[in-house]
Amino acid sequence: MMVLRLRRAGWVALGASLAVLALARPVAAQPTADEIMTKAHLAMYYAGEDMRARVTMRLVSRDGGERIRELTMSRRDLKEGGEQRYFIYFHRPPDVRDMTFLVWKYPGRDDDRWLYIPALKLVRRIAASDKRSSFAGSDFSYEDVSGREPEEDTHKLLREEKAGERSAYVVESVPKESGSVDFARKLSWIDKATWLPLKEEYYDRRGELARVFTGEELKEIQGFWTVTKRIMKNVQTGHWSEAVLADLRYNQKLSADLFSERYLRAPPAELTR
Amino acid sequence: MNRKGVGGRGSGVRRAARLLKLGSLVVLILLLSPETGAAQGLPVRGFLQGAVSGRVGDPEPCPTSQARACRENFLIGEERLQLELSRSWGWIGAAGKLDLFHDAVDNEADVDLREVYLDLRHGIVDLRIGRQILTWGVGDLVFINDVFPKDRVAFISGFPLEYLKKGSDGVSVTLSHALASLQLVFVPHFRPDTFPEAGGRLRFFDPFGAITARHTDEPSPSVDTTEIAGRLFRTLFGWDLALYAYRGFFHLPSLEMESGPTLRFFFPRLYAYGASAQGNILNGVASVELGFYDSEQDRSGTNAGIENSQFRYLLGYQREIRPDLTVGFQYYGELMLEHDRYRAALPPGVPPKAAVRHVLTARLTQLLLHQTLRLGLFGLWSPNEGDLFFNPEVKYNVTDNLWAAVGGNFFVGSAHTEFGQFEGNTNLYAVVRYAF
Repeated sequence: MMVLRLRRAGWVALGASLAVLALARPVAAQPTADEIMTKAHLAMYYAGEDMRARVTMRLVSRDGGERIRELTMSRRDLKEGGEQRYFIYFHRPPDVRDMTFLVWKYPGRDDDRWLYIPALKLVRRIAASDKRSSFAGSDFSYEDVSGREPEEDTHKLLREEKAGERSAYVVESVPKESGSVDFARKLSWIDKATWLPLKEEYYDRRGELARVFTGEELKEIQGFWTVTKRIMKNVQTGHWSEAVLADLRYNQKLSADLFSERYLRAPPAELTR
Repeated sequence: MNRKGVGGRGSGVRRAARLLKLGSLVVLILLLSPETGAAQGLPVRGFLQGAVSGRVGDPEPCPTSQARACRENFLIGEERLQLELSRSWGWIGAAGKLDLFHDAVDNEADVDLREVYLDLRHGIVDLRIGRQILTWGVGDLVFINDVFPKDRVAFISGFPLEYLKKGSDGVSVTLSHALASLQLVFVPHFRPDTFPEAGGRLRFFDPFGAITARHTDEPSPSVDTTEIAGRLFRTLFGWDLALYAYRGFFHLPSLEMESGPTLRFFFPRLYAYGASAQGNILNGVASVELGFYDSEQDRSGTNAGIENSQFRYLLGYQREIRPDLTVGFQYYGELMLEHDRYRAALPPGVPPKAAVRHVLTARLTQLLLHQTLRLGLFGLWSPNEGDLFFNPEVKYNVTDNLWAAVGGNFFVGSAHTEFGQFEGNTNLYAVVRYAF
């Protein structure tokens, strides 16, 4: 009997601890700030094995003057979270039409970048040291386009709150090397459901808000949640840029060979559509 | 100035050249035909451009050969329409660029077929047939292994940079492979550089300025005179590596005196071999290029009229020192291989060139107003020969379709130096372009 009772007690104890575990699971699985930012980085910049999209950028000045940049951007990952290749083909404005831009992105060191100028049939190597440089004159920097590695910043989970309709983690990121970037602090609102950034606030060294990123539209494409409309606003100058991604395709089996000088000089339809 | 052919062998090649021209016409017709073109919503693209360039300063004396240049204040005054068409049907493509322009200085209209070619792609092979612009090497306005024709007159006068390059009429074959890629170019129809000539708008160093009887011989198409250029290239550990070889001709003429007296300009044989590397170093891009110019017709160096064999080398570095501000520096050297014999052979009164021509260049580019305003400065200076060229330019994209640029080409130095001879062409220019 004793044995039986003990046994029963044992079962009860086991059941109880399982129940506690089950109840405690959401708390135990509370991701760390580093985990959130790593997942956000993968969701935003590594969705699928490859991707292609027609991007229309609207550059709007404070007085409402508008410039349009239209391009086809293709990406191919060599390793999830690691090396990537980007190919950009410009459709407009006319003075950059047919220009192509190739980036081999490596984690932990400078990208290799090549620009092809069709009027001169010239492939030019581009210095890639400053990732904060504007991408095609927009408020998006190179880093905003191809991602900033989470390891470059120290992250702290500040709170959880609603961003619009969505629940988000609010993470503060401080660059480990302050000299290489133009922000001293960044706040990110990361969507709990998709891990995509819904909003980012960049603060300068004086602690003032400098730039604000907003993910305006999220769509699920082939199972991958994607920010298909994004805005970056320079709140200090009033200038802002909107990027809309259309005809987005994932996993088109874009060969890594496409991301080479051969296709930079003569891009195939896969990279210009 | 009359031009006649030399080396008349190989009517087959001439036929090939004619076929090439015919082929160009076919490409144009293909591009324009309603079935393949307009009916599918063929986009006609291009630009309308107005350009003017005026001479500032005019050094004395004025040689007879340059009476026109000494009189003329305008180097450029023109309106230009460029039409660009391109189509592709899977593995086959075609493209063409045609310039129609009115030259207000001479009040004449003309046509310039900038490029027209057919592209074929199959497996690892890319074939391009027709008039095409070719650009190789890693130099910034310094050319070692880029042996393809250039329009030096356009460059000196103040045309947009793209007009420095001229198309080559030939065939390019590229074989792409993961190990290395190989591009071979065959050019049966030689096109020389466009260079300042007697009777033209540009001033230049002319030791025989009093002799007005002149003619130019160009190599005529034959198997033997077909230019062949090869480039073997690959990227390794982030470095773009290339080997080059060329068999053809100097694109700038040599000259000899004939009875009369008449000056004969001709293009001596050239074999060139070289290599280049370009990659990231210290947050910037470093470039190295080497080239050996084998001047077959004057290997001994005893003919002062023909370039000696040379060794050319280049070191370059460029870096974005802060967002939208890029600086670049180059050191370039041109080593004459038989300088003693060259000096001994030089006619009296002709100033000798140095055994090594050292050249330093600097480029500064600042982009402003969301990259719509570009301030550029390019400078080139030879510390040992003393000549200097610099080109400041301001370019503003007024709208997405319209840009305007103003700048100057300044040449300084003694009359016999490479850039100093153009002192009398120092100019200010303005270009406005509406692209559609």
